[in-house]
Amino acid sequence: MDRKQIRSVPIRPEEITPKHIYQSRRQFLKNMGFVGMGALLASCAPGLTPPDELPTGLPTDFRTDNMNNLLTSYDAITGYCNFYEFTTDKETVDEKAQDFVTSPWSVAVTGLVENPRIFTMEEILEAYEQEERIYRMRCVEGWSMVIPWMGFPLQKLLEDVRPTSEAKFVLFESALVPGQMDNANSDLFPFPYLEGLRLDEAMHDLTILATGLYNEPLPPQNGAPIRLVVPWKYGFKSIKSIVRISLVPDQPPTLWNTIAPNEYGFYANVNPDVDHPRWSQATERRIGDAGRIPTLFMNGYAEEVMPLYEGMDLEENF
Amino acid sequence: MDNKKNRDKNWLNLIVLIGGFIPLLLLGWSALQGNLGFNPVQTVMQRTGNLGMIFLILSLSCTPINKIFKLPAVGRLRKPLGLFAALYAFLHFAAFAIWDYQLNLGLIWNEIRTKPFIIFGAIALVILLILAATSFKSLQRKMGKTWVWLHRLVYVAGVLVVVHYLLSIKGDLFNLQGDFALPIIAMVIVSLLLMVRIPAFYQFLRHWFVKE
Ligand code: HEM
Repeated sequence: MDRKQIRSVPIRPEEITPKHIYQSRRQFLKNMGFVGMGALLASCAPGLTPPDELPTGLPTDFRTDNMNNLLTSYDAITGYCNFYEFTTDKETVDEKAQDFVTSPWSVAVTGLVENPRIFTMEEILEAYEQEERIYRMRCVEGWSMVIPWMGFPLQKLLEDVRPTSEAKFVLFESALVPGQMDNANSDLFPFPYLEGLRLDEAMHDLTILATGLYNEPLPPQNGAPIRLVVPWKYGFKSIKSIVRISLVPDQPPTLWNTIAPNEYGFYANVNPDVDHPRWSQATERRIGDAGRIPTLFMNGYAEEVMPLYEGMDLEENF
Repeated sequence: MDNKKNRDKNWLNLIVLIGGFIPLLLLGWSALQGNLGFNPVQTVMQRTGNLGMIFLILSLSCTPINKIFKLPAVGRLRKPLGLFAALYAFLHFAAFAIWDYQLNLGLIWNEIRTKPFIIFGAIALVILLILAATSFKSLQRKMGKTWVWLHRLVYVAGVLVVVHYLLSIKGDLFNLQGDFALPIIAMVIVSLLLMVRIPAFYQFLRHWFVKE
């Protein structure tokens, strides 16, 4: 059995051609027929041009998650997010990330695996059937969304590279591209962004690698072209723009856990009983709604994921 | 001479009055337009919080500026500026309690009790409101020395607000991991304003700026 390991394979700037196509918000709305509708209205009122954007807060379609929560609007999902490599301002990250080059892209899967491999994005999209998963996303900052991801279970990819018996954890690494990310060289955060899961968490059916949302390829600010989504954990675990996945023997260092271990645990399971010194973890603001709603244990996925934590003190291992 | 001074004073008062209400009007206008972003509660909290702090800092600078540059007209602005600080701090708290927590007293109390940064903000708010309530000339005369001592608490409020701001930022303050630029600028300004109260430092500044 070939067990040679692949060492670090950073994506060099010269490997990246400045040609990436993702659909702009405008294009997307056009597809959804809103601009068409606007044009129709405009034709009744000469002189009026179709509106550039939908009013914020409107659900873009009327589907729901498994608890009858309406989807958060496409505009909110793509207009309000944390991607600190670009900026710490959630509402301008879409502009700041616009020129992020996400094609070509490859993901190195390395470490304690029998078949280490570099996947190109095309290979990933080809090999793994993309399915829609509507998940709640709970940010540790106390806000939440309901997001229709496109993606596939991480489990499928891991099974293909065959983790060895020593592999106990999975370490993920985000792209770090100084020319394209304003904060890439900032001393304020120890980039590259790293996140990790226990192997059994990574193999859980709810854990996906997402490549799209609302049936569209991911926009850069949402972690294009490929990101992790772990719906029962706080959002910062769902690392964006992944370039490397390594299987490792020990619990790996992760970005927020390194910066403030008392505030951001390695597990970071959504848990209203484990308080945070800054934000309420008992309640949350659902983006698009007024007021606060109770935060659900394991973000409402307890039934599915609690077998992972049998016998564990979740307030100790937060 | 006296007339001119009075005119100057009125002008300055008018500028402060207009400057104090403009941000509130802008905020109201944005709200009417639905222009407060995707997390409007947070937008309003951050804007009112920053405005409260900025007016507090401006108010705290009046006395030093007056003393160093001999500008009593500026010195008198500390009261209207301080009142605006109290107004925005109150709106900040109102957004928190009414809009975000919908007056759910149990939840509000839980936040104040368990989040250190909110405790600092809450004490600062209480101080600012007490000072605003006792800011009337008549009361000032009646209270005499007590009033002077009471109103020195404004410096305590300044420090508490900076701590509140610093602790509200995500990251690790002591290793400077996080977005701490603005709260650190605020901290430096408030520290300078406190240092000006140290006689030696104040003499040095006077000497430096006002070549007598
Ligand atoms: C009971 C009283 C108070 C409460 C409950 C409170 C609550 C909060 C909360 C929850 C935040 C975080 C907002 C966010 O980023 O989501 C915040 C930030 C802030 N607060 Fe307060 N606060 C109080 C008093 C004050 C006072 C008296 C001032 C100043 C006069 C103040 C100034 C600020 C500032 C400057 C920020 C940072 C805003 C930013 O991140 O840009 N707060 N406060």
